[in-house]
Amino acid sequence: MGIMGDKNRPSSSATSPCANFRTAYHNCFNRWYSDKFLKGQWDKMECVSEWDKYRECLSKHLDDKHLSRFLDADGVMDFNNPAQFKSASGVS
Amino acid sequence: MVRAYSQEHTYKHPWERVTAASWRKFADPESKSTLSHILEVDTLSRKLDRSSGKLYTSRAITIHAPGPWFVRKIVGQDICHCIESTVVDAKSRSMQIATRNISLDKFIEVEEKIRYDPHPENPKGWTVCSQETSIRIKPFSALASMAEKVEQRCVDKFQLNSVKGREVMERICNFLEAESTGISL
Repeated sequence: MGIMGDKNRPSSSATSPCANFRTAYHNCFNRWYSDKFLKGQWDKMECVSEWDKYRECLSKHLDDKHLSRFLDADGVMDFNNPAQFKSASGVS
Repeated sequence: MVRAYSQEHTYKHPWERVTAASWRKFADPESKSTLSHILEVDTLSRKLDRSSGKLYTSRAITIHAPGPWFVRKIVGQDICHCIESTVVDAKSRSMQIATRNISLDKFIEVEEKIRYDPHPENPKGWTVCSQETSIRIKPFSALASMAEKVEQRCVDKFQLNSVKGREVMERICNFLEAESTGISL
C-alpha cells in the first residue's frame, strides 16, 4: 500500500467479491447498449444470465444497509420524490 | 444554505458515442487513477421500457470523500455512498443522470444532475453536457457552524472532479471513435 501516492486513501486493492461478475455484466451491457439499444432495437434486454449471477453475488455481499434496500427497488428512483431517499432523518 | 453551480461542456462527438462513454467512465481501467475518488460502482437495477424505448438504471457509487481531521471527527467516516439514477431515451436522444448521497445525509445533501443532449448547432455530430450541482450542509447538524467552509471545499472538490470526469469522457470518446473507424490507438 506504500506505493500508492495517497497514503490516507482506503485500499481498494482488496477487490469487491463481485468484481468478476460485475465486469462480465458491464461488458455485456456495453455491447448491447451500443450495438442494439442505440440502434433502435429495444425489444428486449440481453445479458440476463450475466445479470443474474452478478445480482445474486450482490445480494450476498452488499453489506451497507443504505444500499441493500435499493436492491429490491423496482424501476427508476425518482429524484424529485424525497420520500424515496430520505432515511429517518426527518428533515425535509 | 445551498451552494449551487452549473456548467456546460460540448463534446465534439455524437450523442450515441458520448452516452456509451458515460457508461464506461468509471470502469475504464485507465481512468481509475484520474478518478481515484471513485471506489466502487455497482448496478442495482436496470429496466427497459419496450414501448417507449427508455432505459432506467440505478447504480450505487462509493466515493472516497476525505475531509480535514475535524470534519472526520464529526462525520466519522471517509467514504460516502451515493445513488445514481439514469434515464436514457433513445428515441428522443436524451440522457439524464441524477446522483444524490445517501450516507452522511444527516450532515450534507449533495445532488448532481447531468444531461446529455444533441447539440442544437450540430445535432448529429456534437453533444451538449449540462451539469447542475447543489450542496447543502444540513442546518442544526454538527457541521452547521462550519457550513460555509465545508460547502466551499466541496464545491472546489466537485469542480475539480468534473474536470477530471470530462478528461476521462473525452479520452473514451476518442477511443470509441477510433474503434468504430478501425484505427487502433
